[in-house]
Amino acid sequence: MSINGNYFAGVDVGSLAAKSVILKDGEIFATGLVPSGVNSVESGLNALNLALESAGLKQEDLTYIVGTGYGRVSAPYANKAVTEITCHAKGANYLHPTVRTIIDMGGQDCKAIRIDQDGAVVDFAMNDKCAAGTGRFLEVMAGVFKVELKDLGAIALSATDTVPMSSTCTVFAESETISLVARGEKPENILNGIHHSIANRIAGLFSRVGIESDVFFSGGVAKNSGMKSAIEQALKVTIVKPEIDPQLIGALGAAVIARNFSKKEGLWAA
Amino acid sequence: MGKQLFRYSEANKEKFLESDNITFNDGSTVSPEEIWHYLTEEAPAKYPSAFEVNLYQGNRGSRDETLPTSLKTRYLGLTFSARMEKAKDNGKSIAFIQGGQAVDPYTAADTIALRPGLVNQWNNGLEYGNDINKENLRRKKSKEKAFHDMSFEACQTGGYEHVQAGDLRIDVIAPYTVLRCSDISYGVEAHRHGPNKNVKLLNVDYPLRFQADKPWAIEYFAKNLRRLVNTLDEVTGRKTSENDLLKAIKLHNTGRRLGTELAELWWSADVPPTNSDDRASMVSLGNLEVHGDVQASLSVLKEAKKFIAERVKNGVKGHAVADNPKRLFILGSCVGINGSRSEDAGAIVVGRDDQWSHCSSLVEEVGDPFYNLAKATLEYPYEQSIEKRAQWTIEQIKKSRADGVIFIHNWGCNTQAAISRPIVDIIKRETGIPTYIHERDLHGLRDEQEQNRVNAFVEML
Ligand SMILES: Nc1ncnc2c1ncn2[C@@H]1O[C@H](COP(=O)(O)OP(=O)(O)OP(=O)(O)O)[C@@H](O)[C@H]1O
Ligand code: SF4
Ligand SMILES: [Mg+2]
Repeated sequence: MSINGNYFAGVDVGSLAAKSVILKDGEIFATGLVPSGVNSVESGLNALNLALESAGLKQEDLTYIVGTGYGRVSAPYANKAVTEITCHAKGANYLHPTVRTIIDMGGQDCKAIRIDQDGAVVDFAMNDKCAAGTGRFLEVMAGVFKVELKDLGAIALSATDTVPMSSTCTVFAESETISLVARGEKPENILNGIHHSIANRIAGLFSRVGIESDVFFSGGVAKNSGMKSAIEQALKVTIVKPEIDPQLIGALGAAVIARNFSKKEGLWAA
Repeated sequence: MGKQLFRYSEANKEKFLESDNITFNDGSTVSPEEIWHYLTEEAPAKYPSAFEVNLYQGNRGSRDETLPTSLKTRYLGLTFSARMEKAKDNGKSIAFIQGGQAVDPYTAADTIALRPGLVNQWNNGLEYGNDINKENLRRKKSKEKAFHDMSFEACQTGGYEHVQAGDLRIDVIAPYTVLRCSDISYGVEAHRHGPNKNVKLLNVDYPLRFQADKPWAIEYFAKNLRRLVNTLDEVTGRKTSENDLLKAIKLHNTGRRLGTELAELWWSADVPPTNSDDRASMVSLGNLEVHGDVQASLSVLKEAKKFIAERVKNGVKGHAVADNPKRLFILGSCVGINGSRSEDAGAIVVGRDDQWSHCSSLVEEVGDPFYNLAKATLEYPYEQSIEKRAQWTIEQIKKSRADGVIFIHNWGCNTQAAISRPIVDIIKRETGIPTYIHERDLHGLRDEQEQNRVNAFVEML
């Protein structure tokens, strides 16, 4: 087995989760996902080690590592740092070359990204001033209704009606929710309203950058079926079914970029 | 453990010592020897935060060691606070100003005019010995105090908190109102109830925008400029004549001309002759106001032009500039992006609209100087309608051969926030150059989030 020159890693240390992907011969070989702690170096290494362990590899076996996400600036283990916008673009393009538009919903922000056929970013917009449109917001809402985060989307989808939610600030939304419940609105209808409100705000981001098919939904929130459906309605599109866990797309893109860089720097030849 | 501090290398000392003195308003001079001593001995002890080797935080300055005027603008910046204290001790009058004006009338009336950024700089320099963390903490504390005393729905509280608290010896608050700045009302309100509420106040009333071609507006504004000079005279006890204003205009025209020539020289180069911070610090000398000393700015500006010409001729590239960097043009009031971190990401800032707008607008020297200054001010490209401002900006973008445009504005800077989108849309439509709008948050996590966007934009280019 020729170890050298074959393994490339991407490490995405986001605000809520650290993710890693190892590529071997252009194929996804191993992945890792851990919650982000306060120490972003440690979080990144934990995610990377998880993937290395499952692959039976050591860090020295990796030819090139690219770091991304908010933790990328303190990633001494990485050869290079690239922003997650570029990484989500490359990751989505790698899996689905026909994708031209990406919605990334992570823990603390939401990004609208337009890409070309090579996965290069053409335009982007992001929202991080208000919590609506972030995983954190949905987590708080799951807390309000005392339901599991992973079930939130399905509950919203079971709604018979949509109760609009006007607040975008997490704190105000929480109290708005409580007063809606007090008014007798059904939890699933309120949750449905929340998902649609978020989707509308995401549509607003796209009014700046535009939309072109195919559309890809990445980030941890992409696992929320209610969110996916609400976005499809708000943007009037069909979202591509992801081939892997959409939360790993940033790390995958980083690994793809690691492969490209190391080739450019002559560390490896195809 | 002490933090690692940057040190200017002795290898460059000889060349630096051959450079010119800086001459100040009061006629005093400082020699290159004294500047070198200050930058290598005194300042690192007083302001370790300015020398700390820290990639991600703080103002690390340009650190282009072989460009003597880079060291000199650094010197003027670091000595700013002490120089303002000295000026006050010597009875000089200092005005707090805001808006996008040229400072010719203040110069004429022998008054130092300081904008919010400089007022903050004055206050920042009063405390010695802080590393970056301590300095940031101190600045945040002073902002917290400001939020206690005034509405936080202002851009960055403008530095009024220092005036209000009586921390700085400001003699008069004399901003231009309605000139692109939405913040003035907050500040003016704020100072009314502090210990300094008796500081003299004058709002120089600027006729609503887009009146540049109306004689009544020019007359009206000229009258306000006379009121301004009279108010400044009440503070100083002097009598400023028309001729004093004419002299000030001529002096400032010299600065504006030199600043413009320097910028054009810089643009003419195939490779950027300096990094972003040096370009900005040298071109901005043209308005002769950034260091609170008109003559000092002028003397460094003259020398800077010489050095830049030399670099352009020899194809010298600025310190820490990448090969074939992505050229960014920055739009918006009062804020810019982090030069050195953007250079690390493979970019360079090649121009800005703010300040440049009035640096590149000469004032007519024949006729009533008040009328002429009023006319020039009303014609600043930056203050025109969206379409006109965009067309002027497009010209600057083309001249500077920019690859991308970032419009950045402070949170709470309502005028710029409102017009950023239409301006950028026109630029995009007519040049096809990629654009990005960024709103700077109030203090907090902003550095990292902001840089993240800038880097993503640069990667996109
Ligand atoms: N199974 C799931 N169902 C619904 N939401 C989920 C699920 N798993 C994770 N999430 C959401 O995904 C979010 C984290 O996503 P991700 O890892 O993409 O964010 P991040 O990269 O850490 O954040 P950012 O990009 O904003 O810095 C969490 O806030 C959580 O709400
Ligand atoms: S940022 Fe805007 S509101 Fe604040 S001082 Fe500058 S122009 Fe005025
Ligand atoms: Mg993320």
